[in-house]
Amino acid sequence: MSDMITVTIDGIECTCEKGEYIYDVAKRNGIKIPTLCRHDAFEDHRACCRICIVEVEQRGRTKVVTSCVYPIDGECEIRTNSERIQEERAVLYALLGHRAPEAELIGKMSRRLDMSGFERLVSIDNEKCILCGLCVQACNSLGTGAISTVLRGTEKKVATPYDEPSKFCVGCLSCANVCPTGAIEYSQTDTIRTIWHRDFELLHCAECGEVMGTAESVRHAVGPDGELPTICDACRKKRLANEMMATYRYV
Amino acid sequence: MTEVNHASKIAEIIEAYPVDQRFALAAMQDMQHAFNYIPEEGLAALAEYLGCPQAQLYSMATFYKALSLTPKGEHIIKICNGTACHLRGAMNLATELKRDLGIEPGETTENGEFSVELVNCLGSCALAPVMVVDGNYHNKLRVEQIPGIIESYAASGAEEVTAND
Repeated sequence: MSDMITVTIDGIECTCEKGEYIYDVAKRNGIKIPTLCRHDAFEDHRACCRICIVEVEQRGRTKVVTSCVYPIDGECEIRTNSERIQEERAVLYALLGHRAPEAELIGKMSRRLDMSGFERLVSIDNEKCILCGLCVQACNSLGTGAISTVLRGTEKKVATPYDEPSKFCVGCLSCANVCPTGAIEYSQTDTIRTIWHRDFELLHCAECGEVMGTAESVRHAVGPDGELPTICDACRKKRLANEMMATYRYV
Repeated sequence: MTEVNHASKIAEIIEAYPVDQRFALAAMQDMQHAFNYIPEEGLAALAEYLGCPQAQLYSMATFYKALSLTPKGEHIIKICNGTACHLRGAMNLATELKRDLGIEPGETTENGEFSVELVNCLGSCALAPVMVVDGNYHNKLRVEQIPGIIESYAASGAEEVTAND
């Protein structure tokens, strides 16, 4: 193809198309760039944690860019772990780490960097959320748009409208599962799941007894007129495979 | 305003706009103007009309300072806290208002008469410190003038009051 570009990432030559994001090209070539708010499930990236910053040298100039949303537009040299990047990344880890001191992941990710000199920063008590907004994105695309970021500045948080149980939430856990720091709390017993101040009844597979999800989330998945499944995906596949075997006698 | 009136007024505001999410803010501003706040049912109705999640509108309503989710007072007092006004004692005005009305900036008096807000620069730095009540500018204020101004608005009710400096 005519618009293939060769770039160097950490000394490795990589071929990519024009407009591809640095993060994707690096990942394809086995170079791992650390990140918190990036999730492969979405096409739009938050570019919010900024942990994935890299150094790009092009036409004799060097700049620091956010690799998850920086489209490659020409030959360049990219360094994902240079001294400058390590220094700047340490600052980002320090800021996020003080914003969300309960998020263990940030400490783990930054343990190889020099994290001294940030003693003057003040931590927010009992906070785990880095406000990346992945949960809101997940709820909008997979769930029902029941949560959003509310307020602004230092008071900004993720919540349901009026902090009340949302009648739109289906309790699918998309938000909690996508959260990089595990900041969204929920609890679950054998029959009830509680998330965003609301209790949901759980449905169980008629065959294996595994949890299939909340009644509301299963209904949301099949649509308002769809037939509610009684068995889980794994059991459905097993049943289908057995039927096939009975029909064709071999697999 | 009765319940029915409320609902019909909300519908009237919302339906003045085409079904497009970019009119969400304009509709919410109109609601703010009509009711002095955005009622919960107004938010819900707008979300349904535009076909967007209510949470998204809630997010906008909490983001913009011009929008309020709790009823604001009949008279809105804005104290400029830009650099010039701040240096010339805007916070003293706020303290005086707290003495007179018993409310902090951001709050509304119990009888729903006054709301006090601290705002950023109003662009009248030469006239600092500036206080705006219902759109009327009171400038080069001294703390002693505050009780008189409050009284004139409290007494006048809905009557038009001209700015006096």
